[in-house]
Amino acid sequence: MPRGARTDSRADTVIAVACVLAALTLLVLPEAPRDRTAGVIRGTVVAPLVTMQQRASLARRAFNANDSLVRIADSVVRRSQQLDEVNAENARLRALLRLGESVRWAFVPAEALVGRGMGDEHTMLLSVGARAGVQRFSAVVAADGLVGMVQQVDPNSSVAIIWPNPEFRVSATSADGTAFGIVTAHQGPGIEGYLLEMRGVSFRSTLKVGSTIVSSGLGGVYPRGIPVGTVIEELKGTAGWERSYLLRPAVRPPDVTSVLILAPGNGTGMDSVWRAPLDSVRPR
Amino acid sequence: MSTRSIAIAIIVALMVALHFTLRPILDWRAGIDFLTIAVLVVAVRVRPGVAALVGFAVGVVADALAPEAFGAGALAMTVVGFAASRLKAAFFSDNVMLNAVFVFVGKVAYDLIFLVAERRLGGGALAVQLLLWTPLAALLTALVGLLVMSVVRPTLERRRP
Repeated sequence: MPRGARTDSRADTVIAVACVLAALTLLVLPEAPRDRTAGVIRGTVVAPLVTMQQRASLARRAFNANDSLVRIADSVVRRSQQLDEVNAENARLRALLRLGESVRWAFVPAEALVGRGMGDEHTMLLSVGARAGVQRFSAVVAADGLVGMVQQVDPNSSVAIIWPNPEFRVSATSADGTAFGIVTAHQGPGIEGYLLEMRGVSFRSTLKVGSTIVSSGLGGVYPRGIPVGTVIEELKGTAGWERSYLLRPAVRPPDVTSVLILAPGNGTGMDSVWRAPLDSVRPR
Repeated sequence: MSTRSIAIAIIVALMVALHFTLRPILDWRAGIDFLTIAVLVVAVRVRPGVAALVGFAVGVVADALAPEAFGAGALAMTVVGFAASRLKAAFFSDNVMLNAVFVFVGKVAYDLIFLVAERRLGGGALAVQLLLWTPLAALLTALVGLLVMSVVRPTLERRRP
């Protein structure tokens, strides 16, 4: 091999090794500098791409809505079947509107942007940021209940961790306030990985299957009364003087398209928000 | 900057744009990875060092949108870009069909490195991702890659001095 080619080859290897080392450095960065770096990139180079992604998500929704409308126009006979999707979307939007009216907290409405698939099952990119008043550690809710918490805030977008994230924690209680515990993502195999787990419930407190679990308001991030999930069964094999329960989440992240970001705490609970108004707007 | 470099830059920009527009519109579980196609289109036409740099840059951009595993995409794209450029130089000619296989292998390699580096999935979930969704996504990506290369190759070859 000529000397020039050998030198070029060595230079290529050096560049590649430098890139690999830089990537490994990014991987092991502590959370704060990592988030700052990602935020700078999102706010500069990636900002136009985020805007494009946001418009694409809106376009997808428009396409879907258009399909529904065309189907309805095509066949009046099958209208009731074809209107189901529109009704469901309508109900979700009405629920969100009613939720917005009922919530006494300051909130910012946001669009949840579809991500790249891998790596975004634990986080959700939201279409608003600091310029709209979003702050870190704000609760993110949808019409059906708790979605997650804002972790990073950029000027025009923000990133929330959602409940499947292993770092997600919410202090929760039964709707009647008799049992308290901490709800986290259930680290189970297969489909169980998409469920929640309520730990640390005192041994004397028994929860019935189907009981609604809501946020307790302890900890200052999540106001009291946001639906978190419903009890499916008690988890066996828990040692000590506590019980653990498997919960069906109130919200399925893939279904979430619009959310409300609640301003960090003013101390008021939200018990009445989901109890009365949303019951009245459930699809008939 | 030569006309050929400008043409490659336009193709890469187009792929990146498609990744952030068409992909969210389609919203498939096994989505087409336009970023991998972009990196491979560049990698087979530039030196391995440049391919590694391009892979790193594209990976960082992808990572910024899902910062939980920040760096994993950059690592995976760097390795894929560098390896693709090296293998291309060492073994392969400019064969479009071979490039489709190249894209398939590149996408599988990207997913494998990404998933291992981010350390989020394990056990059954990792197996399902690698044995079901990754090959499906790689197949779709390879088909689109084949289409892209069929379109861009005559243009780039014509511009080559």
